[in-house]
Amino acid sequence: MGVNIKNLSILIAAVALAGAWVGQGQADNEVVFPMPTGPLYVKECGSCHTAYAPGLLPARSWQKMMNELDNHFGEDASLDEPDRLAILRMLTDHAADNPNANMLMRRVAASIPRGAAPQRITETQLFRFQHDEVPAHIWKRAKIGSKANCGACHTRANEGRYPEREVRIPR
Amino acid sequence: MMRLLALLFVMTTPAWATTPQQILDSLVQEARQTQSGFTASVSRGEQFYRAKQTGGKEADSCASCHTDNPKAEGRHIKTHKAIEALAPSANKQRFTDPAQVEKWFRRNCREVLGRVCTPQEKADFTAYVLSVK
Ligand code: HEC
Ligand code: HEC
Ligand code: HEC
Repeated sequence: MGVNIKNLSILIAAVALAGAWVGQGQADNEVVFPMPTGPLYVKECGSCHTAYAPGLLPARSWQKMMNELDNHFGEDASLDEPDRLAILRMLTDHAADNPNANMLMRRVAASIPRGAAPQRITETQLFRFQHDEVPAHIWKRAKIGSKANCGACHTRANEGRYPEREVRIPR
Repeated sequence: MMRLLALLFVMTTPAWATTPQQILDSLVQEARQTQSGFTASVSRGEQFYRAKQTGGKEADSCASCHTDNPKAEGRHIKTHKAIEALAPSANKQRFTDPAQVEKWFRRNCREVLGRVCTPQEKADFTAYVLSVK
């Protein structure tokens, strides 16, 4: 039996599928950020919104934010001093540019200009790139409402998990 | 003597054993320091819960995030994150940690009224939310 067009295209499709499958598996392993241990972080920083993984921003961003908690995006998110210091420590220990950062976090760190200390994850270039296929009207759905509402679509965002296969976009 | 006993009781009761009723009682005590003979009112509390306020920021009532029904899941008007029900009858975690309650009164009153709530407002609000069965 000679190689005809049909057989060839089946072969190509099979190889492409396998490749996609392997690629997906790798991406899944990678798109997990380490989270601080213990309940404090999620309790204090996960009450008004998703408890964002510290690895989504560099330490300088968190330092700035933790000095301005009484006017946090227009809200009062202030904490007593021991909790504030404990959380600042958790954030910098797990920040995108910490010395033990994984590949994913290093990619975040590298994507942010040196002089900048962005306060919004959703305005970073990497976030825009990762979400450029999400159509504008989706963000406006009642159960989503804000790009910063990661947990509405990434079902385990409070655990720092953002793999594509755990995404469920609510109706 | 009674006072000593009460103090001992407070000191030996672990923080996690605070009940919503104890939190309400201590808010009422606090309210009596500036208004003697004060008693908390469920209907005043309900009015306060729903009232459209001025002087605050984006949210103009407690109900805007906590919904008209304290037993229902709320939604943060800015972040759109779901907020678990406020009434202890629907959510056993609520009104069990005095520091947590104080912190959220401070934040949310500033948000809605642009000032701290008075002890009387806090006691009425709590009496209403606890009364919802
Ligand atoms: C009282 C409510 C409240 C608390 C508590 C709070 N935040 Fe926020 N946070 C907000 C609001 C409101 C926004 C703006 C959200 C929006 O525009 O959708 C925000 C935005 C953010 C953003 C930017 C999100 C984006 O657009 O990428 C980060 C990062 C953030 N918060 C971190 C924290 C951290 C860390 C803590 C704990 C120290 C914390 N927040 C506690 C209300 C809060
Ligand atoms: C409307 C729902 C929605 C919201 C809200 C949302 N995302 Fe996503 N996100 C997606 C979708 C869909 C993808 C997958 C895109 C793709 O890979 O094709 C994605 C991809 C990602 C990825 C890359 C995953 C991978 O496999 O490479 C990261 C990281 C991520 N999102 C982080 C966030 C963070 C952080 C927030 C909040 C600040 C957020 N997302 C908010 C829908 C959402
Ligand atoms: C902008 C949104 C928003 C508004 C408006 C708002 N709250 Fe809240 N409230 C929250 C959030 C978020 C929490 C914490 C949710 C959690 O712990 O999951 C909370 C929690 C509370 C708690 C803590 C209860 C407990 O024991 O855990 C009290 C008390 C409270 N709110 C009172 C009020 C009062 C009084 C008003 C009106 C003056 C009000 N809130 C308006 C968002 C809001």
